[in-house]
Amino acid sequence: MNSPAAFLGGAKDRLLPASIPFRFFAAACIFHILAWSFLLIGAENLSKFDGEMGFVLAALHLLTLGVFVLTAMGASYQLLPVATLSPLKNIWPVRLSFWLVVPGTLLLATGMSDATMTFLYAGGALLGAGLAVFAFLLTDNLLRARKAMPIVTAHGWGALAALAGFVALGLILLGDLFNNILDDHQMISHIHMVVAVFGFMGLLSFGFSHILIPMFALSRGLPPRQAWLQFASAIFAVGFAVVAVTINNLYVWVGAFVFGLCACFLYLNLMGHAFKTAMRKRLGLSFVMIKLSWGLLIAGMLTGLLVALKLDIPNGSTLFGFLIIVGWLLTFMSGILQRIIPFLTSMHAVGKNGMPPLLSELTAKSPLKIHAVCHFCALTLCATGIVTDISYFVIAGALTGLIGAIAFAVFAGLAMSKLRKNSD
Amino acid sequence: MIVDDNPGKNWRALDGLHLDVRGLAPPEPMVAILELIETLSDDENLVIVHHFCDPVFIYPELAERGWSCKIVPGDSDEVRLHLRKQL
Repeated sequence: MNSPAAFLGGAKDRLLPASIPFRFFAAACIFHILAWSFLLIGAENLSKFDGEMGFVLAALHLLTLGVFVLTAMGASYQLLPVATLSPLKNIWPVRLSFWLVVPGTLLLATGMSDATMTFLYAGGALLGAGLAVFAFLLTDNLLRARKAMPIVTAHGWGALAALAGFVALGLILLGDLFNNILDDHQMISHIHMVVAVFGFMGLLSFGFSHILIPMFALSRGLPPRQAWLQFASAIFAVGFAVVAVTINNLYVWVGAFVFGLCACFLYLNLMGHAFKTAMRKRLGLSFVMIKLSWGLLIAGMLTGLLVALKLDIPNGSTLFGFLIIVGWLLTFMSGILQRIIPFLTSMHAVGKNGMPPLLSELTAKSPLKIHAVCHFCALTLCATGIVTDISYFVIAGALTGLIGAIAFAVFAGLAMSKLRKNSD
Repeated sequence: MIVDDNPGKNWRALDGLHLDVRGLAPPEPMVAILELIETLSDDENLVIVHHFCDPVFIYPELAERGWSCKIVPGDSDEVRLHLRKQL
C-alpha cells in the first residue's frame, strides 16, 4: 500500500490533509507578490508613511495579514496538534477560516488603497470572523495541550491574547472611520500595530522557533530557564510598548526597548545553543535567511531605541517599522517557509518505492537563490529610499522585491506540484 | 547502554537494538533516533524504538537516510516503532 498512511503507520491522525496547510502557504505566496506590487504603486509615500490610507497601508496589511497571518495559521493548524499531541477535532472550521480571511484581506487592502468604505467594512467583517474562528481553534488546541511543550504553549497563549487585542483594535479603528468614536485615532492605530507585530507575530515567531529551529538543525533541547526568561522579557516588552504609546513617556519607551532587546539576546542565545548541539552542520540557504532576519531584528530594535531617545535619524520611525516588518518578519517567514514546504510535502507524498520523496528533491534551489538575492537588494534599496527620502530607491526596491516574491512562488509551486504528482 | 552519549536509553535484546525516547522533550526523541542510526555499523539494520507518540516529523529525515519506519504492537504506554535500513 503506497500511501502516506502506510508509511506513517497510523501517524496520520495528527497530520491534516495536505490541501489544508498548503492552501494557506500558497495564498501567502500570492499575497507576498501583491504586497510588493502595492508598495511599488505607492512607493513615493513610503518614507513619510504614518498609517494614512493609501497603497502603502494596503501593502502593509497584505504583508501582515496576507503573508504573516496566513502562514501562521497554516503552520499553527499543522504543527501545533503534532507538538501538543492533541489532534484538531474538526477540519471544516479550518477551511472556513481560510475562506473568510483570504477574501477579507483582499477586500480590506483594496479598500485601504483607495479609501472605499464598503470594501473596508466588508473586509474587516470577514477578517474579524475568520480570525475569531482561528482564535477559537487555537484556544481549543492549547487547552488540550496540557503539559506538552510548555514554552511553546505559553508563547501560543501570549500570541492568542495579542490576536484578540489587535483584531478588536482593528475593528474599532474601522468603526472610527465611519462614526468618529475615538479621541486619538493615531494612538490606537499605533497600539494596534505594536500588538499585531510584536505581540502576535513576534511571540508566535519566537515560540515556533523553540520547536522549529532545533527540529531543522537536529539539536538537543533548549535550556528551559533561559527560555522562560526570554518569554517573560518579551511579554514585558510588549506590555511596556503599549503603555509607552498610550502615555508617550520617554522612560517607558526606553523600558520597552530594553526589555525587547533582552528578549532578543536571550532568544538568540537559545538559538545559538541549538546550533552548538546541532547534528546538521550545513543548514543551507533557509538558515542564511533566518540568520539575516535575526540581524535585522537587532538592527530594527536599536533603530527604535535611538528614535525613542530622539536621536536624529531621517524618517526613523518608518525605518524602524520597515526593518521589523519586512527585515525581520518577512525574511524569517521566507526562511521558515522554504524549509516547511518541502518538509510537509515529503510527509504527505509517497514515491513509487513507498518511501517519502527526499527533501533535497523537493527543493528547487534556483528560484530560492533568485529570491534571496532580490530580497536582500529590496531591503537595502527600500531602507536607503526611506532614509534619503528618494522614491526611486523605493521603486527599485519594490520592483526587486516583486521579482523575488515571484521566484519564491515558483519554488513553492514546484514543491506543491511534486506533492500532487507523487500522490497521484 | 550501547551508545553512551545518546539522550535516549538504549540496550540490546534478542530481537535487536532498542531505544527508549519516552520522557524526552521534542525534538530530542528525533535527535536520539537519528544519532543512533548514524552510529550503527553497516550490518545493523533494525532498531526498535519505544516512543510516547507517533513521530510524524521524523519520517522525511529517516527517508533522507535510507531508513523506513513501521508502527508495531507494543506495550500500552508506548508507540513501538521498527526502523529498518532500506537495503
